[in-house]
Amino acid sequence: MSVSSSGSRAGAAAAVTTVSPVLELDPKPVAQFLALAERAINGSIRQLPLMVPSIIFPLFFVAINTASFEKSLPLLKANGYPKLTSFLTFTLAATVVQGVLFGCVAGATDMATDIEQGFFERLIASPSSRIAIIVARLAGSVVIGAVQGVLFTLILMGFGARLAGGVGAFVVLLVSSGLLALAFGGLMSAVAIKTGSAEVVQSSFPLVFILLFASSAFFPRETMRGLFRTLAGWNPVSPVVEGLRELIINGWSTSAALKAILIPLAFGVFAFALAARALQTRLEAR
Amino acid sequence: MNDSHPIVAEALVRTFGDIEAVRGVDLQVRQGEVFGFLGPNGAGKSTTVRMLTTLLKPTSGRARVAGFDVSTQPDEVRKRIGVALQDAAIDPLMTGSELLALQCVLYGLPSSRGGARSNELLERVGLVAAKDRRVGTYSGGMRRRLDLALSLVHSPSVLFLDEPTTGLDPMSRMSLWEEVKRLNSEGTTVLLTTQYLEEADQLADRIAIIDGGRIVREGDPKALKEAVGSPTVFVEVPHAQEVAAREVLSTFGESRPGAEGQLGVGLRGGAGAVADVVRALDEAGIPLLQLHLSAPSLDDVFAEATGHRLEGAASDAAAAGQPGAGKPGGKRGRGKRARKQEADA
Repeated sequence: MSVSSSGSRAGAAAAVTTVSPVLELDPKPVAQFLALAERAINGSIRQLPLMVPSIIFPLFFVAINTASFEKSLPLLKANGYPKLTSFLTFTLAATVVQGVLFGCVAGATDMATDIEQGFFERLIASPSSRIAIIVARLAGSVVIGAVQGVLFTLILMGFGARLAGGVGAFVVLLVSSGLLALAFGGLMSAVAIKTGSAEVVQSSFPLVFILLFASSAFFPRETMRGLFRTLAGWNPVSPVVEGLRELIINGWSTSAALKAILIPLAFGVFAFALAARALQTRLEAR
Repeated sequence: MNDSHPIVAEALVRTFGDIEAVRGVDLQVRQGEVFGFLGPNGAGKSTTVRMLTTLLKPTSGRARVAGFDVSTQPDEVRKRIGVALQDAAIDPLMTGSELLALQCVLYGLPSSRGGARSNELLERVGLVAAKDRRVGTYSGGMRRRLDLALSLVHSPSVLFLDEPTTGLDPMSRMSLWEEVKRLNSEGTTVLLTTQYLEEADQLADRIAIIDGGRIVREGDPKALKEAVGSPTVFVEVPHAQEVAAREVLSTFGESRPGAEGQLGVGLRGGAGAVADVVRALDEAGIPLLQLHLSAPSLDDVFAEATGHRLEGAASDAAAAGQPGAGKPGGKRGRGKRARKQEADA
């Protein structure tokens, strides 16, 4: 390109109107949300090796616990456990919650990776809804969480677990899994947005472990004492698992269903607000 | 502010803590031109672009892009600009066509037009065959081309390209240059940041040289180079006649350093005086073994404006595959300026 020719080209173009009309462009937040949610789900599916631990570890725990406790069911009943025909039935709720929590770390890691690798900048350089970016990522977690819930339920039922609450309990289990994914996905996403570091998100994984094991997920509260019992009483995971467990073991109960749905929903809203706040802070800091 | 220019910045400042990355940049990019933003790493090019593309808020100063204020009307700006950032941030798990489809949705292209537009752009950047492959399998050049296509889905009136060819091989670089020229010929205003002199020279109608967060020179590359001074002619004669040749050459201008065995002289009479040099040497009975003419380069402009050379200039020329760059022999022991002159020749 010679300088003389380019100079004349610029001059010739100077007559063109500067403010160009935005022809037929109509960015729609709902369409953006759906496209980004699809991307989030596809991202998880295409990184199956990252999802495998969140499926294998809970099943591993189930196998170990069931092998350990299956023959001690009468003993367990005498020590605060409900009447069970299979230990798998008792541990089903905890397994689903465990898998969902583990899976949320992978989803939030993807968000941090987007920030680290600059894809997040591509999104905010476009006229896309900022909220759609977060909601879509969380929606991806919700779908993956619900799928995990179904998967664990079917696997454990295949080995003898039973849902006394029937289809209703199954639906609540599915919804609750999705809402738990929203709650913990939101919390982890807030960490991802705040730090922009996939390493930090991954290093917060032990906190998920603490949250899970300092709850009544694996042992009824009646079997606990002292600080452990107090912690489990404060831990929001406890009432969710207990609600699900009641539906699974004892049959349909509206109060149990509400407990299993409303608590993760409330935490989901709170976690979403945290993530949205983290995003706003990140954008304002620019 | 002048609304007739698609990009206007006034006293744009951006600080990060105590660091002043951009210290009062004024810019006016004309409609339909390719504007080159030239400077070394850390000069403030990318920070300025990030402010102009609404990705960073200016600490102070104002900027309007495509007729809208970047601070108060960022959404309007975003709808009208295309942005290809430095690192070609592309999700490696997605395919080329998936990314284009997503970009179409983000920019609100009607679904009836999105597919056709994606295909058109894939064809344009030569990625039709690779459109269903995950981007993680693309080469650096392919990723840059896809990045360019992504920035074009909504037919922006202003295109920002932040170091679009950094790290690319010469072939990929040339291919991207051609595409930028084509886009510009179709009326798109392009602001291009680069640390490559050759790139700025090849593509830009006007350039701004930025160093230490400030624009130190701005204008037509040719005019800027001419303002630096006269072209240099380098001659090689038999060693025994170097003294006599030096005397002849001194009548045409001041002596300039050249490669080993070469005599350089700045031609007061401009490039047209080369014929006179050849004639004078011939009349003095001095056989001419080699001669070449070097016009002032943008590196000379940069050096004159900042007091230092643009880093990597020589390797840039070599990477761009210029004649003269990488010639065997003669490079060792020469100054960077001399090497660059040779490369520019």
